[in-house]
Amino acid sequence: MGHDSIVSSVKNEIRKNYAAVFEQNWPVWLAGLFLAVLALQIYLWGESPWGIAGGYRNWGDWILYLAGVYDHHPTFAPWLSPMSLSNFGLFTGALISALMSRQFKVRRAPMFEYVKALAGGILMGTGAVLAAGCNVGGFYTAMAVFDMGGIAMMFGLGAGAYLGLKYLLWEMEHLPQDWFKINTKARPATAGMGWQAAQPFAGAGLLLAVVGAFYLYAFLGKTVSGGLLFLGFLIGFVMHRARFCFVRAFRCPLMTGEADTVKAVALSLMVYGLGAAVIKWSYIQDPMTGVYHNFWMGSLIGGVIFGVGMLLAGGCASSTLWRVGEGNTKLLVTLFAFALTNSSFAALMKKIGLFDKLGNGVFLPDVISWYLAIPVFIIFLLIWTFVAIWNEDSEKFVIF
Amino acid sequence: MDLNSIKPDQVLDAKGLTCPMPMLKTKKTLKGMAAGQILEILGTDPGSKNDIPDFGNKGGNEFLGLVDHPDGYTRYFIRKG
Repeated sequence: MGHDSIVSSVKNEIRKNYAAVFEQNWPVWLAGLFLAVLALQIYLWGESPWGIAGGYRNWGDWILYLAGVYDHHPTFAPWLSPMSLSNFGLFTGALISALMSRQFKVRRAPMFEYVKALAGGILMGTGAVLAAGCNVGGFYTAMAVFDMGGIAMMFGLGAGAYLGLKYLLWEMEHLPQDWFKINTKARPATAGMGWQAAQPFAGAGLLLAVVGAFYLYAFLGKTVSGGLLFLGFLIGFVMHRARFCFVRAFRCPLMTGEADTVKAVALSLMVYGLGAAVIKWSYIQDPMTGVYHNFWMGSLIGGVIFGVGMLLAGGCASSTLWRVGEGNTKLLVTLFAFALTNSSFAALMKKIGLFDKLGNGVFLPDVISWYLAIPVFIIFLLIWTFVAIWNEDSEKFVIF
Repeated sequence: MDLNSIKPDQVLDAKGLTCPMPMLKTKKTLKGMAAGQILEILGTDPGSKNDIPDFGNKGGNEFLGLVDHPDGYTRYFIRKG
């Protein structure tokens, strides 16, 4: 074999593997496994388990403080607040992934979609206050750390997804369809092939910047903060590579019957939950870590409101962030609406002291012991999965 | 099959719409079509590149293929079964 053919075969291999990792979509179940591992890493590394809404709250607090609405400035700067940092990481990870696959583009939406984005953000911001967390902190993480609020929110999200889907079906029948058409005339031709080709290099540059940021944080004595940014980056990268979207787990069984996301989320929760059980049962961390959700009323009602909002917006707390990372302007509106509503509604709730009436954190092993909590947790997830698989063919839950 | 030569019976413009609207509209439009007719969907959501082919092969329908248009959107073709 000559020198040239070795070079060209190496080039070929690199190109093939680049496409497999950075261009083709990963299977959702693989992303589910990675997410569970990354969420456990955040749990062990940071002071609190993984959540998203807390970061939005921090951003909303700062915007409203700088606008003069609040007298006191938030405790943490956005670049030091744990969930804000993992959010920044998540956004950057998605942006890097979008650039590497040459998919980044400023994406406009039809006018009325922005109205839905705003409404969805307001509803999610409100629901996340009542449930003391979004679909990640209030459902995914809460479930995994055996906080019963997670289960209550799950039922709420299911009901909310049903109501939200009913609205979307109504909208298709009754609203003028011109509101949902984008004006393509004003659109310039594709933004030049140069930018297309340059995207992977911009992505690689940004990747180096994230790694550099971690070392900078570590150098300044904030290694934990830097680590949260980096773990958030990995989460955003994984989510965008597989287009991992929690909304689908609740919506698709009602819409097309597709069960892939249910399987992936259930699998992910099993790994995350068993990991959390090891950490808690062996007292590596206080067993009550992360157990503070408003079981059951807050979680359930918050879940319903959040569920409607995520259907209107077309993204939950996490998928809003990664979609903004690929240039989606509709979900940018959702992001700001979420942050501002979450911050102001939480401030209002504190003022009128309604929080205590919504419930409090209930730790499943306290109620039924560890010996029962783990099998109940696993069997519950298996039942959810099997019902979704059965629904795939029978379409018993499909409402359209 | 040469996708560019297909003459669709109906065209659904879903440009600018994001998940789940392209899917919902596709499902609704297909319901109103006769067996054997071809639906063309125009979309810009990257997620549709997985969703529409998967969905297009469900329930007896046949997904015929997709092709990127130089103006930045993608054309999808489904034959109603």
